[in-house]
Amino acid sequence: MNIIKIWYDELQTVFHDVGIILFVVILPLAYPIIYAYVYTPEVQRDVPVAVVDDSKSALSREFLRKTDATPEVKIVSYCTNMTEAYSRLERQDAYAIIHIDRDFANNLSKGKQTSVGLYCNMMSMVYYKCAASALSNVSIAMNRKIKVDKYLKPKTERESQIMQTPIDYKYTSLYNPQGGYAAFMIPPILMMIIQQSLFLGIGMSMGRNREQNGGFVIPLSPYYKKSVEIVLGKTLFYLLLYIIHAIYAFIVITKVFTLPQLGHYWDFILFVIPYIIDCCFLGMVLSYMIFRREDCMLIFVFMSLPLYFMCGLSWPGSAIPEGIRYFSYIFPSTFGLNAYMRISGMGASISDVSFEMKGIAIQICVYFILACLIYTRKIRKMLHKEV
Amino acid sequence: MKEVIIRIFKIGLREIEIFSHRPMYLFVIIIAPLFCLIYFTQIMKRGIPTKMPCGVVDMDNTSTTRSIVRILGAMQNTDLKEHYSNFSEARKAMQKGEIYAFFYIPKNTTEKALSSRKPEISFYTADTYYAAGSLLMKDLQTTSELAGLAITRATLTAKGVPSSMMMAILQPITIETHPLNNPTLNYSVYLNNIVVPGLLFLIIMLFTAYTIGYEWKMGTQKELFKMAGESSTIAIAGKLWPQTLLYCLIMVLIDVYFYKYLEFPLNVSLIRIICAGLLCVFASQALAVFFFGIFLTLRMGMSACSLFGVLQISVSGFTFPLTAMKPIFQYLAWVSPLRHYYMLYVNQALNGFKLVYAWPSIVALLIICLLPLTILFRLAHAFKNVDYKP
Repeated sequence: MNIIKIWYDELQTVFHDVGIILFVVILPLAYPIIYAYVYTPEVQRDVPVAVVDDSKSALSREFLRKTDATPEVKIVSYCTNMTEAYSRLERQDAYAIIHIDRDFANNLSKGKQTSVGLYCNMMSMVYYKCAASALSNVSIAMNRKIKVDKYLKPKTERESQIMQTPIDYKYTSLYNPQGGYAAFMIPPILMMIIQQSLFLGIGMSMGRNREQNGGFVIPLSPYYKKSVEIVLGKTLFYLLLYIIHAIYAFIVITKVFTLPQLGHYWDFILFVIPYIIDCCFLGMVLSYMIFRREDCMLIFVFMSLPLYFMCGLSWPGSAIPEGIRYFSYIFPSTFGLNAYMRISGMGASISDVSFEMKGIAIQICVYFILACLIYTRKIRKMLHKEV
Repeated sequence: MKEVIIRIFKIGLREIEIFSHRPMYLFVIIIAPLFCLIYFTQIMKRGIPTKMPCGVVDMDNTSTTRSIVRILGAMQNTDLKEHYSNFSEARKAMQKGEIYAFFYIPKNTTEKALSSRKPEISFYTADTYYAAGSLLMKDLQTTSELAGLAITRATLTAKGVPSSMMMAILQPITIETHPLNNPTLNYSVYLNNIVVPGLLFLIIMLFTAYTIGYEWKMGTQKELFKMAGESSTIAIAGKLWPQTLLYCLIMVLIDVYFYKYLEFPLNVSLIRIICAGLLCVFASQALAVFFFGIFLTLRMGMSACSLFGVLQISVSGFTFPLTAMKPIFQYLAWVSPLRHYYMLYVNQALNGFKLVYAWPSIVALLIICLLPLTILFRLAHAFKNVDYKP
């Protein structure tokens, strides 16, 4: 019964405090929209490139025409020499230079290997990837034709096709068919927002209690007697609120911004409830350090990015050093982001994310005990003072 | 003039006094940025992720297909982890997060290839893991291409083409890539040069708004205003100079660590990139004062700073290019110190372009530094009439 009272108490305090409402209601609703909006164009198309064509031959022009026709790059200027092209790079009118050698066509007709140079401004990997993949695709296509027309001399159209690609291949980008940025950035961000806003909200309400109750984290009420009840009561409040946020993220955001949606609803619910509980418990443990309500922003906000990198989504998990990997197991986000990504984006079932669920289960136990111990200590301290 | 300096100095001393009572301040200003510096450079220590787990489904299992699999296993980015017996097993492994990609060779591939019936092999990447997916894709594509070329090579040998001519026939046009100034595609150079300063600017914005708002929270704003001789400029300047010194020190430390210790590419003098960094530090502070001046409450001021500070890491456009974002973010980027830092870094440190091309960013940063002038009157009003609201 006390749990319900504590739950109601928390509800009352939070909804009378604009600052906390900002973090536990408005932030989880607004941030996903802002982020999804930033990344919805999904892909970079038509990276501007400059061209220096020293060959000026039919073949070099064919090569450039095909390059210009790729979705990835767009030729914005034809320069007479490299110095001129480089000045385009400096002015950022173009991000890459394609250089075709003077004996490009000569070499090809003589049956020698020839090369096309790509000089890329490395300010963004995206530009480099676009330019490199466009050129490599064009060269593969042209190589096939040259090889067949010049050397293999097929007799029929069908034979020519077979000679061009004796073994065909097909590439399928699973779970993110358009190769978009949003589809891999947003889902983990959604779960990160849940964790961080919970930390902020719980930290802030803790700071508020300290400020209002003269340094004590527990209100002077008769039913705040048992630490287990306090922890559960508070968690109940945040759990109910955040399930709404989570469902909002899983359904509304995913739908509105057309992110990959392969997950089953119940798999998601089964995952997200423990995840929220886990975040709540850790939030209570961490808020032990919060003495003033605004302090939590200083500590928690900047942590989001290191935590995001730690979980092995944008930076592959196999490349993360051992030490950091074990360190990352402290935080719910490591498991939560991976599990959510695979459930919602890749259609994994709850048993496919069993490793992550075990991690979350262990964390729940550990942080529950820690949170209870902290509150027990606080209650004792308070009783001591009162006496 | 002398009086002004004395006032600023005295307010600064008062600020240091506040600092000494709160160890958390030191954590936020010094330990947090340095932690980020070490953490991010450690996590990307190897530069580019190599040997990422990949699977293969070889339904054909002949000596030809096995040699294709061997080619794949020898690729730089691929760590051939597992052979799966069918497609759905491989897909399951992908959903479990064990592999990032897999290669599929259907039954009768060899037979079809030898009888010119154009078999089709395929490969799949989990592009929810973007970096891993796209790096592995390159390897898988090369392998597939090579598989076909091996057949052509056999045909050509049968026709009596000498092996010295072989490469010119198989691959007449090659692409020579020159990633300028980052030849090894080092991700640490690419990301950390922006991520670490970005987090520093975020911390600066938050902390600047926090320390100013703290006066209202403690109810000491009137006392401060009196000390400053009823001038909000002096009050703010006095409050901020001690932390500014610390920020500058950390910015210099970051640059020295990057360019001297880790030897990231640097094509201008170290002083120049340090100056760019310091200018951005001041701009971040100015922006924080500006935000606080607009909202006049600690809570909203800090919220605005954290929203902007976090968002500018995305909007600076070093991962997903700004040129592909919606126009509203392209305008927003003009007031983002991190965006300008990124432009200056690319222009100067990375590429060593002429300084002429950097002036739009420098001017923009100087204008951002002047933004607080527009809200001084509001601050003065707040010092006199506004009380802390939780």
